[in-house]
Amino acid sequence: MAELREKTQLMNSQDLNRVIRRIAHEMVECNKGTDNMILVGIHRRGVYIARRLQKLIEEAEGTKVPCGELDITLYRDDLTTLSEQPIVHSTRMPADISGKHIFLVDDVLFTGRTVRAALEALVDLGRPQIVQLAVIIDRGHRELPIHADICGKKTPTSRSEVVEVRVDELDGKDEVVICECDA
Amino acid sequence: MSATLNEIGQVTWRHRSVIDLDNWTREEFYFFLDQSRHMENVMDRPVKKVPALRGKMCVNLFFENSTRTRVSFELAEKMLSADVVNWSVSGSSAAKGETMRDTAWTLEAMGADIVVMRHGAVGAAQYLASKLKRGIVLNAGDGTHAHPTQALLDVYTAWKHFGDLTGRKIALVGDVLHSRVARSDVIAFRTMGCEVVLSGPPTMMPREAETLGVNYERDPRKAVAGADMVYLLRIQRERQQDGLFPSVDEYHRWWGADEELMKYASPGALAMHPGPINRGVEIASEVADGHQSVILEQVRSGVATRMALLYLCGGGAR
Amino acid sequence: MGKLLFKGFKIFNGTEFIKDDCLLAEDGKIVKTGSGLECGGAEIIEGDGRLIVPGFIDLHAHFRDPGQEWNEDLKSGAMAGAAGGFTTLVAMPNTKPAVSEPALIEYVLSHGAAAKAARILPAGCVSKKREGKEMCEMEKMAEAGAVFFTDDGAPVATSQLLRLALLYTGKVLPRVMEHPEEISLFQGGQVHEGRVSALSGLKGIPGASEEIDVARGIALVRDTGGRIHFTHISSAGAVELIRNAKRAGLDVSCDTTFHHLTLNENAVINSGYNSRFKVNPPLRSVEDQRALWEGLKDGTIDAIVTDHAPWHMDEKDEPFQEAPFGIASLECAVAVLLDYRARNYPEVPLELLFTKMTSAPASLLPEKWNALGRIEEGAVADLTVIDESRTRIVDCQTWKSKARCCPWEGIALTGWPVMTFVEGRMIWQDSEEL
Repeated sequence: MAELREKTQLMNSQDLNRVIRRIAHEMVECNKGTDNMILVGIHRRGVYIARRLQKLIEEAEGTKVPCGELDITLYRDDLTTLSEQPIVHSTRMPADISGKHIFLVDDVLFTGRTVRAALEALVDLGRPQIVQLAVIIDRGHRELPIHADICGKKTPTSRSEVVEVRVDELDGKDEVVICECDA
Repeated sequence: MSATLNEIGQVTWRHRSVIDLDNWTREEFYFFLDQSRHMENVMDRPVKKVPALRGKMCVNLFFENSTRTRVSFELAEKMLSADVVNWSVSGSSAAKGETMRDTAWTLEAMGADIVVMRHGAVGAAQYLASKLKRGIVLNAGDGTHAHPTQALLDVYTAWKHFGDLTGRKIALVGDVLHSRVARSDVIAFRTMGCEVVLSGPPTMMPREAETLGVNYERDPRKAVAGADMVYLLRIQRERQQDGLFPSVDEYHRWWGADEELMKYASPGALAMHPGPINRGVEIASEVADGHQSVILEQVRSGVATRMALLYLCGGGAR
Repeated sequence: MGKLLFKGFKIFNGTEFIKDDCLLAEDGKIVKTGSGLECGGAEIIEGDGRLIVPGFIDLHAHFRDPGQEWNEDLKSGAMAGAAGGFTTLVAMPNTKPAVSEPALIEYVLSHGAAAKAARILPAGCVSKKREGKEMCEMEKMAEAGAVFFTDDGAPVATSQLLRLALLYTGKVLPRVMEHPEEISLFQGGQVHEGRVSALSGLKGIPGASEEIDVARGIALVRDTGGRIHFTHISSAGAVELIRNAKRAGLDVSCDTTFHHLTLNENAVINSGYNSRFKVNPPLRSVEDQRALWEGLKDGTIDAIVTDHAPWHMDEKDEPFQEAPFGIASLECAVAVLLDYRARNYPEVPLELLFTKMTSAPASLLPEKWNALGRIEEGAVADLTVIDESRTRIVDCQTWKSKARCCPWEGIALTGWPVMTFVEGRMIWQDSEEL
C-alpha cells in the first residue's frame, strides 16, 4: 500500500468553519428561506458537515431544517471491480423527500461518481422537486457531467494527490489538507 | 448494539463460499448483523432495490423442495439487482442422470457467479464449492448437516430483540438428530456467547451431544427454564413411522410448546420456529400466534440476512 | 530362471530380523541366507542397508472382477498390489456375479495369474449367489483353490447359516471370514456413531453393530467347535470380545485395516465430509483406534489388511452421502502404516507390524500356503524391498489401480516398498530405482 504524506494545509479550522457558514447562508438564499428544504449528508464526512449546516441555519433562521444521511455504497459503479466489498452504512431520511428541495452535502467533489450514485439512491427513496449539491472542495478531474451548485473552494489538484477534509467529530480537528501518495 | 460494533471496529470480510458457520468469529457475526440491519432498511423503501449485485448471476439450485428458502433467497437476490435463475432438480443425482461434477461444470460454463444450493446429501455444498473455480456456493441446506442462513437469520432476530447475546439462554426443542437448523443454530448461538440447551425424545438426539458443546434435558420444562429463546424444531411425521417416537399425540403432550411450557421461560422470551410450522405437533397455535412469537419476524430477517450474505460474499471482481 | 543375490540388506524372516545380510534365490526359491555371500553368475541387487522382507500378504482386497471391471479388474488389481509391495492378495467374492461356484474360483485364479504380478488367491462365498440362504459347494471350491469363505460386503445372513458353515468347514476346509455387522443397526448408516454423526447429522453406525456380530460368531464357534476369522475389525468392543475368546482357547482370528489403524472419525470431520473418507466399517473414534493398536501389540489382532475397495472416479467423486463406501489403498498402505508408526507409535517394533503382514496372515490361509510369508531355506522367493528413508508424495494419478482417489492423496509419507518379487521374478520396482 502506498503511504499518504501530508503536503499542504489548504484550510485551517477557522477557514473551514467560515466556508461552512457561507455555504449555510447560500443554501437559505438559494432556497429563498428554509421551507421545503432537506439537508442530506453523504457518508461519511458529508453527514457531519450537513449536521453543522443544520445547526448554523437554525442559529440564523430559527428553523431546524430536517437533515438526513445517505450511504451510497450499494449504488457504487465500481462494485464489480473491487476485490473487497465496501462496508454499508446507514441511510436515514428524516421525512419523505418527495417534492422537497434537497441539498446533497459532501466534503470533496472529484470524479463525480459518488454524486451520481447519490442521485440514484435519492431517486429510489422518492421524487424530490429539486436536488442541489454543496461541497467544501471542488478539486476538478470530473468524469461525469456533474457540478456543485454551492462550493466552498475550487482547488486545482493533480490526480495523484488526495484532498482530505477533516472534521472534529471524526478526526479530532477541523482542517483541509492536500496529501500525496508516496509509491 | 452499535457500541458492540464500534468495539470490534473494521472487519475484513474473508468468507466467500459459506458452507457452515463453524469458523465464523463473534466479531464477524456482529459485523454481519450490522450489515444486515442496513439491508433490512432497503426493504422499507418505496423502491425495494439497490444495484449492488447488478450483472451478477445467481443460480438457485434446489435438489429438494423448499419454497420458503428459495423465495427468500430470490427476493434477496432481486433486491440487490442480481440476475436470478431458478434451477430445480428433483431426486438424487442418480435419478437425474448427471453427476454433481457435471452439474458444477455446467454452472461454471453458464457463468454463474453465485450458486445457492439446497441438497439432501451431507457434504453436497462443500463438494460443489470444491468443483467451482470461479463461482461461490451459499449453502441453503445440505442434508442434516448445516443450514447457515437459517442460523444467521435466527441470530439476527434475537440480536434485534436483545442486543448483546452474551449469557442469553436458548432452548432448542424437538428432532435435533435430523435437524440441520439445530446444528447450525447450536454453532451460531454458542459463538455469540449463548447457553444452548437441547430437549426432545432421546431417540431424536445426537449421541455424544456434548460434542456440540451443549447440554441435553429430557424434560422440556427444565430445558426451557429461564430461557430467553424457545426454539421449536419441525417434527416430520415420517419420523414417527421410522419408530423414533410412539405417536404425534405423545410427542405434543411432552415436547410440544404450549402456553404452559412457555411459562417456564423467562418473561419476554421469544418463541422461534424455522417454519413451516406443524400446528398441534411441535407448537400449539396459542404460542405460534401469541405475543411471544417472532416467527414472522424471522421470515423478514431471512431476506435481510440473505441480502447481507449475498452482498458480502458474492460481490466484487472475481 | 536365474539366480538372484541380494547383498547388504537387513533381512526380516517373517518373525524377526536376522544377522545375515545376504540372500540367495534360485529358480523361484530361497536357497539360503548368510553373510558376505558370493555366487558366480547371479544377478546382484545391492541393499545399501535397506530392508528385505517376505512379500506382504493381504487377506482382504476387492477387485470388482467379474462384473465391474471399470472400477478395477484382476490385472490392474494384481499390478496395484505389486506396486504396493504385496505378493499375495486374497480377492473378495462379492463381485457380479458373486464368486460362489468352482468355475468362478478358477476364473479368478487364471485371470489373476495372467497379470504376471502379485499372486491372487480367491475367496469364495459362504452362500450360493451370496444370497444368504444355502451353503455353496465348499468342498469343490476349496479343491478349486478358494482360500476363505465369506459373504463379505455383508455378514452371513442368518445365525443358522453361519452355524452350518462353521460346522461344515470345521478345521478342514478354509476358514469362514466374517464381515461383522448387525444389519438392522447399519441401515442407512454413513459414519461412526459418535462425534462425527453428532456434528454432521449423518446416520451413525454404532460400534455395537460390529460387537453384536462378533459375539454371535464367537458363540457359534463355541457351539460348533469350528473356527472363524473376523475381518476389518474397527471397534474397541470387538477387540475386547476377541481377546477374551482367544483366552478361552477358541479358534478365532481377526484382522484390521491399514486405514482403521491410521485414521479416525476426525479425518472425516476435518475433510469437510469428503467422500474419500467414506468407508464401511466407518472410521471410528480415537479410543477405538487406540484399542486396535493395543490389540496388535497383545496379539489379539492377527493380520493387517487393506480392504482395498477401488471405485472409478465417476462413482466415488460424489458428495459424501451419495458416494459408495470404500478406500483404495494397495499402492500406499505400507507407507501409510510405516509413516504413521514412526510418528505415533515408535515403540511398536517394526517386526510386529511386518509379522502381521507376512507370516501371521500366511498361517490363516489353507495349508498349501502356510509357508508363504517367511524367508527360510526352500521357501518361495516372494520378496519385498523396503526403503525406510524414502519420502514420496501419494499421487493416485500414477496408480496401477483404476481408483484415482484415497485419503492420503497429496500427502508426503516416509518408508516405501521399492521392489517386489514373486517366485524370484521382479514384478515391480519404483521408477526411481531404474
